[in-house]
Amino acid sequence: MDILKVESLTKYFGGVAALKDVSFEIPENRICGFIGPNGAGKTTLFSLITGAVQPSKGRVQLRDRDVTRMSPSALVKMGIARTHQIVRPFRAMTVLENVQLAVHFGRQSVVSTSHAKEKAMESLKLVHLDHKSRLLASVLSLGEQKRLEVARAVATSPDLLLLDEVCGGLSASETAAMLDLIQQIRARGTTIMYVEHDMKAVMSVCDRITVLNFGQKLAEGKPEDIQKNDAVIEAYLGKSSLGGGPNARKSSEAQESSTGNPT
Amino acid sequence: MKAALPRLSAKTALPLLLLLALLLLPSAGLSPNLVRILFITYVWTITSVAWNLVGGFTGQVSFGFAVFYGLGAYTAGLMINAGGSPYLGFIEAAAIAALASFFVGLPSFRLRGPYFAIATIGLTEAIRVIMSNLKITGGASGLSIIEHRQFRQVEHYYTALVAVALAVLVSMLIAGSRFGLALRAIKQDEDAAASLGVNPYQSKLWVHAIAAALTGVAGALHARYAVFIDPSGGPGGVFAFQTGISILLMPVIGGIGTVWGPVLGGVVFGIVEEELVVNFPNVHLLLYGILLILIILLEPGGLAGLLQKAFRLMRRPVGHSES
Repeated sequence: MDILKVESLTKYFGGVAALKDVSFEIPENRICGFIGPNGAGKTTLFSLITGAVQPSKGRVQLRDRDVTRMSPSALVKMGIARTHQIVRPFRAMTVLENVQLAVHFGRQSVVSTSHAKEKAMESLKLVHLDHKSRLLASVLSLGEQKRLEVARAVATSPDLLLLDEVCGGLSASETAAMLDLIQQIRARGTTIMYVEHDMKAVMSVCDRITVLNFGQKLAEGKPEDIQKNDAVIEAYLGKSSLGGGPNARKSSEAQESSTGNPT
Repeated sequence: MKAALPRLSAKTALPLLLLLALLLLPSAGLSPNLVRILFITYVWTITSVAWNLVGGFTGQVSFGFAVFYGLGAYTAGLMINAGGSPYLGFIEAAAIAALASFFVGLPSFRLRGPYFAIATIGLTEAIRVIMSNLKITGGASGLSIIEHRQFRQVEHYYTALVAVALAVLVSMLIAGSRFGLALRAIKQDEDAAASLGVNPYQSKLWVHAIAAALTGVAGALHARYAVFIDPSGGPGGVFAFQTGISILLMPVIGGIGTVWGPVLGGVVFGIVEEELVVNFPNVHLLLYGILLILIILLEPGGLAGLLQKAFRLMRRPVGHSES
């Protein structure tokens, strides 16, 4: 069964179409990757699904229920959570408080403080940050802040988790640990939508990949098919790409930065 | 949790001790003038604690708390004049002030940036002009409040003390609750808070209404004691812009975003204001200006922040190295 159904989703910023007529389904309990050059509309897509940005046209359905134009907080209560490409921890709060907030206001709306703290610690254990729970979030390294971002999203108890470049800026070993974490989260029954520029990472964990280019869907399929797709190679992967991240197209960078989440 | 118990009792014991001392104070034979100063200090402290809920905890700066103060004062005044119980008047004052808070909050809390702050300035001026021209409240010439009871200063003292204790209790409860955690998150990053399930709009509306209600009670206490209120823009007028500024000044001086900072600010302000205004009618504004600049430049944590630093310095040589 599909957990999410997106129909002709379109977003204009002024005259520029950041996303145009994009449709797809996300099957339950899969890891679905979204790739494409900078400005392809990946972050815009995430912002539209999570309610941070309202679509110009189109529909988003969560398990046959129309959730288009719902507020971000309402969508969290429906079971959709996200991480941010640029980490946004509450710096003046402890690591534990950051996650505790998500337990309190997430889908389970836990009222009891002690219960919320327990649940928050579970999430922190999952991302191996439990030993830093009492530190201020501002003192964490980037890798740790990325993991905190994931812990917070997981703590809202989502059915569908949208991960936006959680490996960006991480070392090779940190990336490996993060990919392992993503698979663990899926094993708990969560469906994952995953945006990443690191092709090795995306190809290794995703069951299915959707390629976006200039706000439109270019291709969709299994990782091995995507790697062979001529249009994808032309637009994004390049001839010998699998060694590293593809080159960004500077001209289209402005497009993505207007979504409020600059690359 | 058992481990949390001792810490909790230490945190609540001190305020209870303070409250007990303040309860016993009038029987220690204070002069009426001192009781008056304490009364005024309590009233100011209520507004300071209330403003901090919105400005300190939630990060929404308001210049318009004079509106709630004034509406509370007028509501209680009119109710007392109509022959009602003053205590019922306090509750009605809180309700009217809370209602008024939605007029500012509903349109402006949806917007980002300085719109809320600007809206509060606009509302203050609008309400002041309306109240200056409204016949039933006596217009610009003000409202005399006639209570058909014997004036007992001690009753006013205790009413204000209960009210300020209630305000501090509300502040403590919010600070330790999940609502308080949400407010702190909103202050730091509204969108990130929303992406974790917090509804920033509703949270801001509610905390604003709670703060307005408390400020309304403060206005009502003042009105009942002062026996005469007027809406003028000058000092002393309950709707004066300056009243709104004073309410903002106290928590900033005391220490924004903490429970006890605004209490400290209110106490300092209440006492200093009473002494300064009497002795130097115009110098006090200059002094506040200087104090404000010094605090913003040197110690954004306010007096509470300064005290904390002082305690840490005192502790260090003894060998309590907490890390």
